[in-house]
Amino acid sequence: MSLTRRMFVFGGAAIGGGLALGVIGLGTHLAMHDRLGVQREGNSKDTLLNLWLRINKDNTVTLLSPHTELGQGAGTGLTQIVADELDLNWQQIKLELAPATSEFSNGGVFEGFVGEMIGKPPAWAEHIASNAFNRLADLLNMQMTGGSASIRFTGWQVMREAAAAARQMLINAAIDKYGASINTTTDAGFVVDGDSRWSYGELVEHAATLDVPDNYTLRAKGERKFIGKAMPRHDLPDKIFLETQYSIDRHVEGMRYAAIAHSGVFGANVATINNLAEITSMRGVLGVENMGLSVAVIANNPWRAEQAVKALKITAVSHQNSDLSSASIETFQRESLQGKLSDAHSVGDIASVLGGSGETVEAEFWVPYLAHATMEPMNASAWLEGDKLHVAAGVQNPLYARVHAAKIANMDVEDVVFHAHSMGGGFGRRVGFSMSEDNPLMWIDEVVTLVKKYQFPIKLTWSREADTRQDVYRPAVLAKFSAQLDEHAKPRYWQSASYGSEGGAPASMPPYNVDNIKVQFANHPSPIPIGFWRSVENSQHAFFNESFIDILAEKAQADPIKYRLALLDKNDGHAKCLKEVAQLCNWQYGVSADGKAMGVAVQKSFGTMVATVAEVSLQNNQARVHRVWIVTDSGVVVNPDSAIAQVEGGVLFGLTAALYGRCDIENGGVKQSNFHDYPIIKMAEAPIVEVKLLESANEPGGFGEVGVPTIAPAVANALAILGKRPMRLPINA
Amino acid sequence: MISINLNGREQLFDVEDDMPLLWLIREEAGLRGTKFGCGIAQCGACTVHIDNQAVRSCMYPAVAAHGKQVNTVETLGSKEAPHALQAAWIKHQVPQCGYCQSGMMMAAAALLKSTPNPSSDDIDTAMTNICRCGTYSRVKAAILDVAKEMSL
Repeated sequence: MSLTRRMFVFGGAAIGGGLALGVIGLGTHLAMHDRLGVQREGNSKDTLLNLWLRINKDNTVTLLSPHTELGQGAGTGLTQIVADELDLNWQQIKLELAPATSEFSNGGVFEGFVGEMIGKPPAWAEHIASNAFNRLADLLNMQMTGGSASIRFTGWQVMREAAAAARQMLINAAIDKYGASINTTTDAGFVVDGDSRWSYGELVEHAATLDVPDNYTLRAKGERKFIGKAMPRHDLPDKIFLETQYSIDRHVEGMRYAAIAHSGVFGANVATINNLAEITSMRGVLGVENMGLSVAVIANNPWRAEQAVKALKITAVSHQNSDLSSASIETFQRESLQGKLSDAHSVGDIASVLGGSGETVEAEFWVPYLAHATMEPMNASAWLEGDKLHVAAGVQNPLYARVHAAKIANMDVEDVVFHAHSMGGGFGRRVGFSMSEDNPLMWIDEVVTLVKKYQFPIKLTWSREADTRQDVYRPAVLAKFSAQLDEHAKPRYWQSASYGSEGGAPASMPPYNVDNIKVQFANHPSPIPIGFWRSVENSQHAFFNESFIDILAEKAQADPIKYRLALLDKNDGHAKCLKEVAQLCNWQYGVSADGKAMGVAVQKSFGTMVATVAEVSLQNNQARVHRVWIVTDSGVVVNPDSAIAQVEGGVLFGLTAALYGRCDIENGGVKQSNFHDYPIIKMAEAPIVEVKLLESANEPGGFGEVGVPTIAPAVANALAILGKRPMRLPINA
Repeated sequence: MISINLNGREQLFDVEDDMPLLWLIREEAGLRGTKFGCGIAQCGACTVHIDNQAVRSCMYPAVAAHGKQVNTVETLGSKEAPHALQAAWIKHQVPQCGYCQSGMMMAAAALLKSTPNPSSDDIDTAMTNICRCGTYSRVKAAILDVAKEMSL
């Protein structure tokens, strides 16, 4: 066993022959436990395998990844990292999804994600660690894909070490068994010593008898053949040739279908089904079940189940949320900002400069609740086989979902088999836990409950309407800003207050050099279920901060890029990307002859700096975005084509939110229901997006979410130049 | 009984007249390449060809397909013999999550049949499918690539 920077690598003979290597995130977990004050129970629970790397006798290599596929394509990047460190040829390596068992939990990734974002565990992590069910076990049940973390943490910090250790073991095997010289090296799947060549497959059995070396070297940049190249994604042929099975496509012999009606009021149970006889007499209907928060109809075809659900007449019990509306929530948030606030960040002493001379600038922003709207609505299948419960679903945290299903079924975790499917979109919806105390896996609860009762296999599919109205939403946030400009039109102070803390990640600091800064938040919960929404708090706070700095530039009658640069150090990362993006877009400040204007925004998130310029016009008082230029600065870029695809996608995800996205609350539920009233950008409205990736030798930054935060403020700032400054989203309301 | 020529084979289905074709295809015929996305013909994930026209099957009553030729995405091509669009989808690395891409490729195939050499505007007009991952620029590049090849 070999101790590396943050983890143990260990190896041994694989079942069926070959060499297997694992990584134990011991140190990382102990650190997380200490932070959370978790009591440890003995050594056995402290050891967590982050992955298995299997080198087979046929000279193939299998990478078992803990990360599920939701469109991000991180699996390909992980194999690129391993192929370089282990010195493989591209055909040798195969990617497999690790099973949802505790051996493959990746709390270390989870910890990296948390630590990187905010430095201390947020409230929802505390909640996970301290809730009624086993504190330690719950933390060990993380097998998370999220936080733009697969490449950054699993790949760069964990898999690279295992692969490098494996390569050294294979070299050592050649030296030990065949007397190879100390000059022995590797060449694309072979160990080479002068004219002698052994395939890795020939050496694995002997390598498996050796200790994992204490010393091994990571490959230098010049030795990399795959990292930094646009390798084609492993998962795309199966997706294009229909061999990818989403959970909605799962079929089990004898399967029946469930559709769902929720009570319509968040948190309220269904009191009565008023037309039960009518429903049960509909063609194909096999059962109607009041499950509390929802009613299920089971039928022999999903459409028949859904037809019956549409015909249901239900009454919800009276509930404290019954009168809730967007207006009442906004009013409550505004009142809360007048009350006691918590400090998020503070620089200098704002009290000492309040009341000075100079123009005071104030602003109030509002962003609404947003649904995720994954293309594949929430669905899951479940069936019983012997004494085992099988659950098939697409989730970003299969192990957590499995443990959750076992709890709902009142069964031992060992008796639940979880089948993790590729997801038709995730965007944070399928992480498994939320920032409020709500349950994002409600659809899994529902199918498990139904299968326990009916005993036959059931596939439960939420309609688009159910999916839109029973999400864990991006939180609605009201934010108030103020600043005072000095004689050089620079802010003497910067003060902001916003509602909520996004589960421990409250408002961010502006990146600008201001002597006196106070960032505060009203630390109250959301009455509506809230969860992780692609880029999390960055999507709201980049809009606030980057709109406000632009408002200050406007007051100063300054070019918004020059104004920002004057408030940033020369070597600051924000400044670097701003200068690059200005060059990329051929920055023009002001309205062009054809009535267009450019707007800019910059934000660092998930380890990646992003500067964005949007070119916008107003047509019939509606914003039209023509072109977008983006510069990212993110250290080593493992797969530039995948990185660009993620940034392009992030821009459109953020633009949909900026232009159209709103979930209005009416009578305690969400008013919007489907794509006609919750529209998504289509091809004709999609701007041309040009992405420039800056690289360095630094550790890789994330890409899955970083395209989202800057687009809304960039578009808003362009509109301001056209004379229409949006203070509330969506813009095209 | 509804009689449909589904992917080149005459088949009889005992379903309600108003059952959408999507659910006949997925559950009665067991062909699951065609996807459910919205149920109100907004997203296009369920696009099939009826007598060579792109149709959103989630709102198309099964009875309306009686006597017609319905082709699903399963007829497009295979790894061994890919359709030109599928090859272009690989070349341009189009999909992300992939869920909408059956519908995208079926809409693109119908477009190229009716308009073999589409302009960028033609593509914008014809391709109104929703992709939540935001793959539109690659979808368009792939279609233009295939059109160019076809015109050679």
